[in-house]
Amino acid sequence: MKNIIAKIVVVAGLIVLSATAALAHSPLCSCFDNGDGTVLCEGGFSDGSSASGVKIYVRGDSGAVILKGAMNENSEFEFNKPAGHYTVTFDGGEGHSIEIDGSDIVE
Amino acid sequence: MNDEGKKAMKDNFLVALAGQQNAGKSTTYNMVTGANQHVANYPGVTVDKKVGSYHEGKTRYEVVDLPGTYSLTSFSLEERVSREFLLEEKPDVVVNVMDATCLRRSLYFTFQVLEMNFPVTVALNMMDVAESQGLSIDLKELTSRLGVDVVATVGRKGKGKQALKAAIRKAVNQESYTRPVVIDYGDLEVHVKALEEELASDASLGVLYPLRWLAIKLLENDSEARNIVGTKHASGKSIVEDALSRRMEFEDETGVNTSDYIVACRDRVAGEIVDACVTKEADSGPPISERIDHWVLNRALAPFFLLATVYLIYELSIVQGYELTKYTWPFLAKFRDIVAGILPPAGLIEDSLLRSMALWMVDSANTLLNYVPIFLILFALIAILEDSGYMARIAFILDRVFHSFGLHGQSTLPFILGGVFAGGCAVPGIMSTKGIPDERSRLATILTVPFMNCLAKIPLYTLLVNIYFADHKSWAMFFISTITIIMALIIAKILTTTVLKGRETAPFIMEMPNYHAPTVFGVVQRALERTWEYIKKVGSIVVAVSLCVFSLLQFPGLTDERMDYYETEMSKAVATYDSKVAGNGYVNLATGEKMLPLLNLYDDYKRARMNTSGKEGAARVDRSFKNANPDTFVLIKPRGDKSAKVVNRALRKLSSERKTLRRKIKEEKIKTSFFGMIGRSLEPVTKYAGFDWKVNIALISSFAARESSVATMGVLYQQGADDNQTLEQRMGNESESSGMNSLHALAVLLFFALYPPCLAATIMVKVQTGSYKWMAFAIFFPTAVGFGVASSVFMLGTALGASGIAMMKGFYGVALAVALLIALVHKISSDKVAASYEYQPSNQ
Repeated sequence: MKNIIAKIVVVAGLIVLSATAALAHSPLCSCFDNGDGTVLCEGGFSDGSSASGVKIYVRGDSGAVILKGAMNENSEFEFNKPAGHYTVTFDGGEGHSIEIDGSDIVE
Repeated sequence: MNDEGKKAMKDNFLVALAGQQNAGKSTTYNMVTGANQHVANYPGVTVDKKVGSYHEGKTRYEVVDLPGTYSLTSFSLEERVSREFLLEEKPDVVVNVMDATCLRRSLYFTFQVLEMNFPVTVALNMMDVAESQGLSIDLKELTSRLGVDVVATVGRKGKGKQALKAAIRKAVNQESYTRPVVIDYGDLEVHVKALEEELASDASLGVLYPLRWLAIKLLENDSEARNIVGTKHASGKSIVEDALSRRMEFEDETGVNTSDYIVACRDRVAGEIVDACVTKEADSGPPISERIDHWVLNRALAPFFLLATVYLIYELSIVQGYELTKYTWPFLAKFRDIVAGILPPAGLIEDSLLRSMALWMVDSANTLLNYVPIFLILFALIAILEDSGYMARIAFILDRVFHSFGLHGQSTLPFILGGVFAGGCAVPGIMSTKGIPDERSRLATILTVPFMNCLAKIPLYTLLVNIYFADHKSWAMFFISTITIIMALIIAKILTTTVLKGRETAPFIMEMPNYHAPTVFGVVQRALERTWEYIKKVGSIVVAVSLCVFSLLQFPGLTDERMDYYETEMSKAVATYDSKVAGNGYVNLATGEKMLPLLNLYDDYKRARMNTSGKEGAARVDRSFKNANPDTFVLIKPRGDKSAKVVNRALRKLSSERKTLRRKIKEEKIKTSFFGMIGRSLEPVTKYAGFDWKVNIALISSFAARESSVATMGVLYQQGADDNQTLEQRMGNESESSGMNSLHALAVLLFFALYPPCLAATIMVKVQTGSYKWMAFAIFFPTAVGFGVASSVFMLGTALGASGIAMMKGFYGVALAVALLIALVHKISSDKVAASYEYQPSNQ
């Protein structure tokens, strides 16, 4: 009986572990201010994988998501530059997203 | 010249370091050789061969650290490697490292080396631990009883180094030895002597092997000894038969198993020596290791300790290791840029073969080198676990569960790193199988680790679950998380009872080594050593494998007609660009011959920016590009220059068009490549699993082209897609028209779960097994299994008219039942074996 309990504990623990997931490759992303009121973000992965379909969030000053979308087939995402301070999140997987501060996105 | 003169002239001695696992062999080895050492494999096998050396004056001592073994039978690979090394290389001295805290067990090994007639020096290690346990060992008595030099050492602290070196010097220069201990085999002696005489009839054998040892080995019915005598002695066959009949005769007379009797004789001598040499303080209490084990191996607490350890390894190596790759990746990216700079520049829509092939190879290598920080941490942690003695305990705790399926207690770590439930990676998983002692379990583990849910598989799972199992999301995710481990166990069982049946297997020795604190030097050294080995192997194998895959993807290539079409499209884009830039102040810098270099510069700049992070990184990239291209940099980054902005905007548009065209060419190339042809030609077969050619190609190229599965799927399902739709919607639309339903999705899910490992993982299979044959097996076997499972589920579901979710539940039930049945059958049969085994007490 004790043995069964021990096994259940192991299994339960491993399920809890699964909550922390890692990427099989490093995410890459950079954004440019196009100088015409738009911002272009480009993404990818270190193993050459395309970032097509990876979700992108743009957050305003308060931290609320003001824009969301996904990288297109060319692994790019273009959006209208929000007024005020903002951040861009490249959501490449649990705990392994990249956040870029709006003040770092320059022309 | 007399013999002594000859010896003195010899200036290179071979010293073999041998002993049991966890006796402190590695620390002793480090102590003697210092930093002057390297690691390779023994020829033909993947067992580590550590060689180092030190000098005394002009004399060089070459030290070979043999794999740690409990004995020198022909059981496991390590034992055989050690024994063959001793027999073939005939070292000048064998340094036997013994654990002072368990002398009796260690002596068992010593006796075997002495029986093989080697000059032996004993390093009695861990004297400090022995003292702390209240043990005092009479070295003089031990020396005289064994008849060989005994040096007390504390390898971790470097104590006893000079004394050990002196003993080695003495041993290699000594002409005759004080006769070492000879074990009296009592009633068996007559047979030993008789066999020895028979063996002596062929004079040449005696030169190669110690005859008494061979005689005893024959009586033990050792397969290697039988082989040696059978092939190398003129009347070998009859001697082997004689040995067998003597063995039987002895057993008939005494009713005792011969091998057990031999063990008992050795044990008796060991016992006598321990009684004579070791005194134990009466009130010292249980040793520290026992006290720690009281908690760590406690039935209720052991799982928690195990989980905590596993969590720590996972968190530190995989999670934190990937964090580190963010810092190390830029260096690899820089390397790629350098290579790209040397190669002929990129063409407008197509690169030269040389450029694309070289970059493909660099990219493949970089993918694997990106793991280096993870491996450094992982190997350091494994070294700590091994040195501390906890690794043996992990194996002990889980061996029962895994053993039923032909795996080993030490398969735990590889499975966890491979991503037991979700998230992980097969590459470090396969790499960490190195420590598994028996070959059968090790191969079974290597071949089943890729079934685990590495994170590259998760996006596809999520995608399919969101579309087809939206109402049963949590159940579907639970199914995926657990079915892979169940299938891995079942497949491990199948493999170990079929293709791996004849492989070496070692009995699991449940003797717990003492706990001791690992040394920083030892841990760092081992981590660097193993990581370096990984890098070296990756270098050679990547070239071979990536070239193959490149050719399969690249050829036969697009038809001239299609290339003409793309070239026309590109010319149109260039014409638009030219018209926009016309009349601009920068027109001379941006058009005509200057256009392509500018476009490449723009792309290089974007790539460089992507590989850096933060404001400073960006500024650094800007500076270096500005310095290298003072005239044109303003077009890449116009900053308020109005006419430069116009050029920049046109350039961006052109770059984007080029990117799209290149992507389309690439996709079309994949579809028409040999890989693509395979995908298409498989359609008549794969239709039984409900896969159309698109799915086939997505699955094939997600193996080969390293594109993540979702991206490939996305690309294939994009035709006619509305830009505002998500991938899920697009796939939903597409599949409605193509008649895809949840049953199709389940088939894809199952195939993907059992799908062959990615390119990087297959390369690791080659590294760890040392054979391309196993690598090919690791690709084709899971493909067959995955396809078999997917198509049976699909066809059965279609025939029954069942939904995907119903089939999912049904399949889960069947798989779980099979796994439990295997465990049950194993338990019943092993209980039977246990019941039939009667312990033979030594008749002292």
